[in-house]
Amino acid sequence: MELSPKEKDVLRKPKELLEKPKLDEDHKPRASVDAKKRKEELKKIHYFLRLTREFDDRGRKLWRQGRMEGTFFSQIGQEATTVVPTFFTERGDFIGPQHRELGAIITRGCPLELLASQLLSRKTSQDKGKCHPNFWGWTEGNFLAPCTLMAAQTGVAVGAALSFKMRNMHFIALTFSGEGGTSKGQWHEAVNFAAIHKLPVVFIIQNNWWAESVPLRLQAGNEDISKRAIGYGIEGFRMDGNDVPLLYDFFSEWIPKIRANIGPPVIVQLDTYRWYGHSEIDPADYRAKEEVEMWKQRDPLPNFESYLVKEGIMTEAEIEAVREKALEEVQKAYEFALNAPEPEPKTCLEDVYAP
Amino acid sequence: MGAPKTYIDAIVEAQAEEMRRDANVFVLGEDVGIYGGVFKATKGLMDGFGFWRCLDTPISEALIVDAAIGAALMGMRPIAEIQFGDFIGGAHDPICQQAAKIHYRTGGTWKVPIVIRVANGWAMGVGLYHGQANEAWYMHVPGLKIVAPSTPYDAKGLLKSAVRDDNPVIYLEQKAIYRVPWLKEELPEDDYTVPIGKARIAREGKHLTFISYGWVVHNCLEVAKKLEEEHGISAEVLDLRSILPYDKEAIITSVKKTSKVIITHDAPKTAGVGAEISAFIAEEAFEYLDAPITRVCSFDTPVPFYSKMEKFWLPTPEKLYTAALKLFEY
Repeated sequence: MELSPKEKDVLRKPKELLEKPKLDEDHKPRASVDAKKRKEELKKIHYFLRLTREFDDRGRKLWRQGRMEGTFFSQIGQEATTVVPTFFTERGDFIGPQHRELGAIITRGCPLELLASQLLSRKTSQDKGKCHPNFWGWTEGNFLAPCTLMAAQTGVAVGAALSFKMRNMHFIALTFSGEGGTSKGQWHEAVNFAAIHKLPVVFIIQNNWWAESVPLRLQAGNEDISKRAIGYGIEGFRMDGNDVPLLYDFFSEWIPKIRANIGPPVIVQLDTYRWYGHSEIDPADYRAKEEVEMWKQRDPLPNFESYLVKEGIMTEAEIEAVREKALEEVQKAYEFALNAPEPEPKTCLEDVYAP
Repeated sequence: MGAPKTYIDAIVEAQAEEMRRDANVFVLGEDVGIYGGVFKATKGLMDGFGFWRCLDTPISEALIVDAAIGAALMGMRPIAEIQFGDFIGGAHDPICQQAAKIHYRTGGTWKVPIVIRVANGWAMGVGLYHGQANEAWYMHVPGLKIVAPSTPYDAKGLLKSAVRDDNPVIYLEQKAIYRVPWLKEELPEDDYTVPIGKARIAREGKHLTFISYGWVVHNCLEVAKKLEEEHGISAEVLDLRSILPYDKEAIITSVKKTSKVIITHDAPKTAGVGAEISAFIAEEAFEYLDAPITRVCSFDTPVPFYSKMEKFWLPTPEKLYTAALKLFEY
C-alpha cells in the first residue's frame, strides 16, 4: 500500500519521532534509585521478557502444526509494553488486559501450565475449554480473562480502582488497550470517570500502529493519543515502548507513586510493533515489508540484552543461560498441557451461573 | 408493620437496609446522589451513607455497569442504576459481553454480584425514549438473571435477593406503579427476601390463566375480578416475578389446572417474553391445553406518545377482557 509522508518519515528516522517521557526535572538523573536494586530488577524483567518470547514462539508453532484450535494471537515484538508495567504491580492490584498481554500474565506470576493448558483447550486450564485459547485470565492474580471486545476491560479496571479508592486501599488497576481500542466510547467513558475521581488507574495504550488492518492515521486525528490526557485533566505520556530501561525508569517511579496516593490516573502510550498478523490467519499484507523490517531491528529483547551487557548487569553467558532456562520451562509447560486430559463436552453447561 | 408503603418506598427501603447490613453495598448512577434519583428511588441514601456509597456518575451508561463489574470483582456488591430502560443500550456490551460471561469464561472462579436497577416499561405520556419495555433483549443472554416485581412486598424482597445473589441481576422497576396509592401495603418489619425464579399466584382460578409480570399483572387482576363478577368465570393470575430464570413448574401447574392461557405484557409481541413462555408451554404441556395459547401484548411499533394512541397500543384491561371471553368460549 501507499505510505503516507508521515509513515515514510517513521521509516527514515523512527527514534526522533518518539518523544522521551516528560518526567519531572528532579526525577531525571534518578539519583534516588538504588542502583543495585535497579540492576536486580532489570535482570528479573529480562527473564520475564525472554519467557514471554519463548512461550509465544512455541505457541505459534503449535498452531502451525495444527495442534491447537482457533487461532493464535502472537504478541512477539510487544513484550516490553506488557512485562515492564506489570512487573511493578503487587498482590491485590487488578489487571484488565486486552488480548495481546501474554507478557502481563506471565509477569503476574500465572503458572505456565495453566496458560499452555488453555491454549490447547485442556481440562487443566482455568477456563476448562470454554474460553478462546489466547484469552488468558488468572483469577488468583486478579487478572481478568479478556473480553474480546476492544477497550471492554478499561471500564472494569476503573471500577476496581473505584473500589480501592472508596475503601482507602493502596492498590492500583492496570489496564491495557491497543491504539484501536481508544476509539471506543467505552474507553472515553472509563478515562473520564477515572479522571473525575482521580482513581488509581494506569491506562496503557499499546500503540502497535495497526488495529488489525487499519493504520493509526485512520484511527485517530492525533497519533499522540496520550495528548487526550490534557482534555481529561490528567497526565499523559508517550514513549518508545521497546526501550526497556526507559520503561523501567518510568514505571518504577509512577506505579508506586499512584499506589501511595491512590491516584490520580495516568495515560501512557507505548509505541511498539507486532511482528505478525492480528492473529495467525492474518497475513498482514497491509503493511510495508520495510516497515516490518525496521521494527524487527528495534526488537526490545536483543537491544535490552546489549544494554545489560554494556552496563555490566549481565554477561553474554548469563543471558544465554536465561534463554535456556526459559526454553526449558516453556517446553515443560507445553509437555504438561499436551498430555493433559480434554474437558468433557457436557461440562460446557457448567459455570453459567454462580451457585 | 409500619405505615403502608408504595412500590418506590419499598425500593428505597431495600437499598437502605442492604447498605446498612453490608458495607460493600453501594449505589451508582446518573442523578442518584444529591438529587436522590429522577424517580427518587435513592432518596436520602447519600445523606445516610455518604458520597461514595450513593455516587453520582457522568452520563456514561457503559461506565456505570463496567464500574459496577470492576468493583464487584474486587469484593463489593454494587447496585447500578440505569435511569430509563431506554438508555440501557449504551451498557449493552458491559451487561451482555462482560458481566454475563465472566463467571463462565473464568471457569467459575470469579463472580459478578451486581444489580442493575432499571426504570423499565410503559408509563403514561413518556413515549418512545422513556417508555420501552426491553426485558426481551436480555432474556436471550445466558448468565443474567431478570426480575420484574409487581407489588411493594415483592419489590423489596426481590431487590434484597438481587443484592445478595452472586450473579448479575437486572431488576426491572415498574415506573407505571412507582407511587400508585392503591398498591400501598404494609411491609414486614423484619428482614425478608423473595426468591429469584419463583412465580406467585396473584389470584387463584380454575377456568383460565393469565400469565404476566410487572405492572401488567394489575390489569390481569382487574379483568379477573370483572370476569368473576359478570360471568362467573374463574381466572387465575400467575405473576412470574422473575423472567430469567422463569418458574417453569408454576406455569405447568397452572396450565394443568385451567388448560387455557393468556400471556400478556407491555413489550411488543414479536419475540417478546410471551413468545418464550408460549413456546415452553407448547413443548412441555401441549396435551393439557384446551385452546390455543393467546398473547395480548403491545403492537410491534415503538411506544407511541399521544395519549389516545397509547391506549390503542397497550394491552389494556379491555383487550384482556375480550380475549379472555373469547378464550373461555373456545
